[in-house]
Parts: sequence; structure tokens; C-alpha cells
Amino acid sequence: MATTAQQSADRQQIAQRIPGEKSSVPAFALFLGWLIPGGGHFLLGKYVRGTLLFVSILGLFLIGLGLQGKLDSFGADDLLDKLGFVGQLGSGLMFLLAKVMGWGASTVSITLQDYGTKFLLFAGLLNYISAIDAHALATGRKADLADDIVTVKRVA
Amino acid sequence: MLTHFSAVLLAALFISIVFGITQRAQPRMMIRFGAFCFVMFVGITIAASWLMWAIKH
Repeated sequence: MATTAQQSADRQQIAQRIPGEKSSVPAFALFLGWLIPGGGHFLLGKYVRGTLLFVSILGLFLIGLGLQGKLDSFGADDLLDKLGFVGQLGSGLMFLLAKVMGWGASTVSITLQDYGTKFLLFAGLLNYISAIDAHALATGRKADLADDIVTVKRVA
Repeated sequence: MLTHFSAVLLAALFISIVFGITQRAQPRMMIRFGAFCFVMFVGITIAASWLMWAIKH
């Protein structure tokens, strides 16, 4: 029967992946993380982080829509609108759904609407970061440390 | 209805959570960095608001 320390070491070995190892998991974590906020973290078994990311990014997006923020389109003449579209596209499925359903405003006329547009932009950009974080965790580029294994003991 | 200040608080909260999770590897450090980001976002906003008020008056 394995001891608790042995089980902990085994779990650690399973959780850590070799950098550069060929696998489709990192790419899928990146895609899923983009499509659904926190989806990549869920795929990797990081349920708390995934839930927090989902709630935060969805919250930003919904507040943006609630404030009648503008959903940018790539076909616009203004370069800033094109950049805004690229940023908002980071929200993945939420952005595509909002576009299809015609949610959000087409023009900005009051200050709160401008705030709403920024909320939509933040949601997209943060979701890019979140998806890349999931990818980094999957490849092993980002260390996956738990509180109990990084306690450094100073030896006098 | 969301006021300007409550919009700032919500944005700071959500952005800090994402920054905390993605920019640190250890849960304890995630919480610390998230809290730091939140305080900085809100603190700098309040400071900038008073600065703009002072410039206007």
C-alpha cells in the first residue's frame, strides 16, 4: 500500500509534462480556452481556476453588453474598429453568439456605452491571456505549483 | 444602474482575478498578485480622479 508521500509524488509526476513533448492537448487547451473562457483550464483539471476565469471574463462581457457596448466589425473603415474587432474576437463563442444574435450597439452615443465597449474589449483580451496560460500549463512551460510543494526551508 | 465608480470596481475585480491566475504559478502568490493589482487599479483611478479635479479647479 502506497504511503501518502508516495501518492503525492506520483500525482506530481502525472501533473508535470515534459516541455516539447508532442501532444495535441496543448493546442486543444488553447482552442478550448479561446472558445469558452476557462475551458482550457477545465480540460487540464484546473477546475477552480477555470471557474474563476469563466465567471470573470463572462462577467466583463455581460456588463459590456448590459452597458450597450459596441461590437466592432472587421469590415469597418476605421483602423481602431478593426483592432477592436480583433480584441473582442478573443471572447470566442460569446462574441460570435452576440454577433449572430445582433446584441450590443452599432454606435456609441453616451459615455457608459463607451465603457461598455471597453468591457467587451477587456473580456476578449483577457480571454486571449487565459487561453495562452492554459497552453503554457499544458506544455509545461508554466510551472504548476501547489502551495505545499514550494515551501523552501532555509538551512542555517 | 452601474455608476462610473462601480464600473471601475467591477472591471478592477475581474481583471485582477485573471491577472492573478495567469501571471503567477502558486495559488498563494496568485491571490497576493490579484489583490495587488486590484488595489493598484482602484488606487490609481482615485488618485487620477483627484488630480483631474485639482487641474480643473
